[in-house]
This record gives sequence, C-alpha cells and structure tokens, in this order.
Amino acid sequence: MFCIVAFVVLSILGIFSATNRALAKESLDCVFRRVTFRPCNTGFDEKMKAKILGTVITRSEVAARLINNNFELLSWIFFVLLTASSIWTARGLYLFYATGSCNGLNQSGFCVFDPNGNNNQVSALSATCKVTPTTEKDLTLIPVDLTVFPVKNSPSKEKIVMIGCYACDYTRQTYPMIQTLVNKSGASFTFLDYPVKTKSDYLTKVGYCLYRQDAASYWKFNDILFGADKTTFETEVYVQKTLTSLGVDAAKTLACTNDAKTEDAVKAQMKQITATNFYGTPTVFINGQVLVGPKPYRVYAIMLQGLLFWLR
Amino acid sequence: MDVKRIRLDFPMLQGSAGNKSITYLDNACQSLRPKQVIDAINSYYLKSSACSGRSMHQLAAEVTRGVDQARGTIAKCLNAIKKEEIVFTRNTTEGINLVAHSLGLRSGDTVLISDKEHNSNLIPWQMLAKKNGIRVKIVPSKPDNTFDLDAYRTMFDKRVRLVSFGMTSNLDGVSIPAADVIKIAHQAGALVMLDAAQTAPHKAINVKALDVDFLAFSGHKMLGPSGIGVLYGKYSLLERIDPFLVGGDTVSSSTYETCEFLPPPEKFEAGLQDYAGIIGLGAAVKYLQDVGFDAIQKQELLINEAISAEIKDIPGLRLIGPADPHLRSGIVSFYIDGIDSHRIALMLDQMAAVMVRSGQHCVHSWFHAHQIKGTVRASSYFYTTLEDAALFTSSLKKIIKVL
Repeated sequence: MFCIVAFVVLSILGIFSATNRALAKESLDCVFRRVTFRPCNTGFDEKMKAKILGTVITRSEVAARLINNNFELLSWIFFVLLTASSIWTARGLYLFYATGSCNGLNQSGFCVFDPNGNNNQVSALSATCKVTPTTEKDLTLIPVDLTVFPVKNSPSKEKIVMIGCYACDYTRQTYPMIQTLVNKSGASFTFLDYPVKTKSDYLTKVGYCLYRQDAASYWKFNDILFGADKTTFETEVYVQKTLTSLGVDAAKTLACTNDAKTEDAVKAQMKQITATNFYGTPTVFINGQVLVGPKPYRVYAIMLQGLLFWLR
Repeated sequence: MDVKRIRLDFPMLQGSAGNKSITYLDNACQSLRPKQVIDAINSYYLKSSACSGRSMHQLAAEVTRGVDQARGTIAKCLNAIKKEEIVFTRNTTEGINLVAHSLGLRSGDTVLISDKEHNSNLIPWQMLAKKNGIRVKIVPSKPDNTFDLDAYRTMFDKRVRLVSFGMTSNLDGVSIPAADVIKIAHQAGALVMLDAAQTAPHKAINVKALDVDFLAFSGHKMLGPSGIGVLYGKYSLLERIDPFLVGGDTVSSSTYETCEFLPPPEKFEAGLQDYAGIIGLGAAVKYLQDVGFDAIQKQELLINEAISAEIKDIPGLRLIGPADPHLRSGIVSFYIDGIDSHRIALMLDQMAAVMVRSGQHCVHSWFHAHQIKGTVRASSYFYTTLEDAALFTSSLKKIIKVL
C-alpha cells in the first residue's frame, strides 16, 4: 500500500521538484505491480522505508522502531486516509462547482476555494429589523402569494423568485447575474423588494407604483438602480430624473407613492415576503430550491438548467 | 601520517551532504580525489588539451610529455622494468578483457580463477568458454574465505594456460599469497594475470619481484579519475600477443591489405586516449607515493581494527572473511540475519551521511553459491578517521536496535 500513497504524494511534489518526479516514476512501477496483484520487487518501498526510518531514528529510536514494526499497517492507514480525503476533496470540488460552497448549498463552513465565505454572505435581516434569525431550512414560498409582486416572463414553467434590496451589496452583486440567466433561459422572474437598508424604503413604493403604471419601465428602472452608485438613489431628485429619462410620468408615479392604498399594498407585500422566513438578502428561489447569498453565475444556471447548462 | 592535514586536500571531505558532513566508507568502489589530481586534470583542459604523439606543435609536445611522465611514474611505482610495459586502458575490466582476447586461448585450454572473483574477472572467461571452448576451473577458498594454496596446487594439469585471480578481493578484502600463486603457476607452465583493482590503491606492488605476467588496475579506486586504468604486462609477452582493440595510433603504417603494428604499448592503445585521465592518474600515483603505502596500510588497519572490535559482538552479525582485520585490508563486509543490506546502507546514509556499499558487490557468483542475499561493505582509505569509524559503528548499532 505504501507505494500507492507514495505515488500520489510524490506526484504532487513532483510538480515542483525533479527528484520527486523521478521517485514518483519509480513508485508508479511499484503501483502497477501491486494493482496487478504482484509483489513490488522494484525496491522502491524498501528504499523509501529506509529513508523514512533513517530520518526518524535521528529524532526518536522508539518512533523509528514503531514505524518499522508497523510499516504495512501504517501504510494501510495512510492509504485509507488518502482515499477518504481524496473522495472528500472530490466531493468538495463538485459541491463548490455546483453550489458555490465545498460544504454544500448555503453551507457556510470553511471552503478552501472560497476562504472568506463570500458565496454565502447576506445582508442580514436581523441586523436592522431585530427579528429572530431563521435558518435556511425555514425558507419557503408555499404560503406566499407571488401574484402581488412584479413578474417577468410569467408563462414560463421555470420560475425564479428573488428577494432583494436595492441598497444591499450582495443583492446588487446577484441581480445582474439573475437577469442574464432570465434573459438567456426565458424563465419567469419575480422580484420581491425588501428594503433591508432603511435608506431605500421609499423605492419599494416607487417600484410598486411604476410596475402598475408601466411594467417594462419598471424592469428598466431596476436595471438602472442596480447599476448605479447606491448613494445616488437615496434622494428623490435622482429617482425623478431616472423616471423621466425612461419616459415615465414621474409626477404621477411619485404621487402614487403617497397614496394610502400604495402604503397598504406595500405593507401586504412585506407581510408576504416575511412569510418566506428569509433572513437576509439576496435569497433566490429557483424552481423551489433556495439559494442564500451571492452565488457564482454557474450555480444559478446549474439550479435552473442542470450541470451541463453551458451546453444549452 | 597527519590524517587531518591530508583530509584538507580532499574537497569532498570539506563539503557536505545536506546539513551533515560526509563519512565516506565506499572506497572499495571508488576513492575520493585530492585537489592535486583535480588540478592536474584541469590543467590539461585549461592549458594543453591537444593530442599526444601525433601533432608536432608545442601543445601536443606538452601532452606527450605529460602522458610519458605518467607512464613513467606508474612504471616506477610498480617497479616495472620499462615504462613501455604500462598500457593505458579504461579500467581493470578492459585490462582483463585485453588479455582474455589477445592471449590466443584455444579450445581445451584451462583458466583458473577463484570462487570469489569480481564479474570483471569471471565474465570474460565465461564468454571465452562459450566462444572458444576454453575451460574455466574454480579454485575454492578456505571456509574463512582465505586463499587455499593446497587446493590451488591440485588444480593444475598440462592444459592450464592461465591463472587469473583477484589479488585482493573486493568482497572481503582478503589478499591472495601472490608470490606463491605465481611461483606455482610458472612451475606448471602457466601465465598469471592479477586483478589488482583492490590492491594497487593500498599496497606497494613490485611486479619484478612478483614475476607476474599481467596485472590490471583502475584509476578511480586510487585517487585517479574515473575512466582510466592500467594493464601491466611483461614486455616480451606484450610484444608477442595481438592487440585487442585496433585502429588509429596502433600502427606505424598500413596499406589497403595489411598494416604494421607499433611496438607495445602503442599497439594496445587504439584511438585517441584519455589524456586528462592519464595525467590525472599520474598525479594520483605520485600523491600516493608521497603519502607512502606503509602509512596507508597502517591507517587502514587502524580503522579496520576499530570497526571490527565494535561490531564483533553485535548479535546476528556475520562477517565475511576472516575475523582478523589484518587479513582484510580496509574492508569490513557483513550481513545481519533477517535485515536487508540495502536498508542498512540507506539508513546509514539518511541518518548520518555514512556512505557504504550494499548488495553483492559484482561478486554475484559467490553470493549465489553461498545463498546470501548481500552484505554491507564499509571500506576505508588512508583519509578515513577513527571518528568516521565510530560514527559508522554507533549508527549501525542504533539501526540494528530499531530493525
């Protein structure tokens, strides 16, 4: 078993050193003999064992004796550990590719490919709304009436629902990717604006009124807001100018935002969003599967179109 | 002999392997080189790398002089009658092959060799047996691996044409009683060839006094460069035998049909020679003469005694050859029941940079006959110190405790 472990380790070390490359080649011959159920007679394992013992003996004779007496057993242990860690690594790679985290979808444990956990960050609801935090398991769309929210490509069977906030960094990172996916796939897209950051509260009402006034302009307005510097849309003047630039009657829209009915409708929307038990933005539902935090584009595409999304 | 001062001449002993300074105990395989030899080789390449003997310019004259001086130094060291008895070869193996292929041995002719010959002095005769039908007879050693003169005497018949022995065995360091061996062979009308690869570096050899017919040795075991060796042959014999390799520089003239060979040694030195090697070997022999063979032997014996005393009580350790270190030159060869010799050698290297040889030392035939897998061989030289010996034995004891 030793030569198999050595082959893997030396092959990796061989990338950086010619000496180890030669040893890896030697170990390969030994591996070949072992996998064909023949004894390793290349002397490789003997040589490596002697080298290991020669190093250990200078530090501890007891340890050297222990290694010598249990060399085959230790080789097996290392082989099992190597196999397990290889499988674990392969699983981690797959999960990272498919979900954006080595530990699985929305799992925030350490991942070497995303050491800062950026793919699971959220603008947390609890930070501003003082609500009891929920978990990913609590998230659901079942009790939610999605008809009260803006929707694009509504007839499609593929459904993407996104809870986001104009002023939240992670939503701003995700929204353009979701739009690209929606445009490419033709999936239905429902946007649930939940102003986690209080400065953008009034935009929810603007969005509500604009969507009812002109749905196409609403989506363009969203695109502009998610593309703009977030400090700019804290003022009503900016919103007014943007609406005007879209050819929308800005005065009418802004008047609508002051209507009591709008207030009630927006409150009803917030109630619906809260019913999802979401705990931060962005939260994206793709055909019922929930993704919390800004994932790489491929993760959303895989959820919608499968692992081979790039072939479509 | 001031060993500490001598060691300063050897750059390899000043360097280090990893973070440890080296303890070199593989001198039976190859010795280290003093800077005097390295300088001589460098000098050829830096100042006079030209042909010897052929061209007329001053560089060629300098090389010719260098080669001639080296030949003279070696002839003097061996106490040869004339320097033309010294033929430069690549190594001992080539010297033995030269004799084997030039002597004109025919079917039925017998060659005597010992039971512990290096492959260099076994395979050429095996090949001749297959090719020409000669007979190869093996002279058995005594149980302690020393030479059995009585058994040797009984091997002679009218068909023994040549006796070819290793003068000192690379397996165990045991030397044969060369003078007696030669006398008996000559009385029986046979020629004697001695493989002196393990003798020439350690002892003074007097070819005239020994009356040996051929004697071969290598440069790399006696401080000289690798790839250069010497075949000594009595001039009358060299004149009589045909050359082994032929071509450039071996003839005085040629026509399309025939050629006229030069006298020895030129007729045996075909093609452009290793001039740097020859000059380097000359410098090596001079260095050894300056140190003195008596001093060399004394130091080697001191080391062998120290090692032998330390290892004699190690359980399971089996020494090859006689227990008396006086009979084993600078070699201590042993195996330990149940422990692979390569493992011991590798561990010695890894843990303490002690460099020894392990395996069958090109004497496979002896190992097969005795059903021994291999031995660890520690071989000292005059630059080996008692500290080296102590490090070797203490490391060996540690290894045995662990294994």
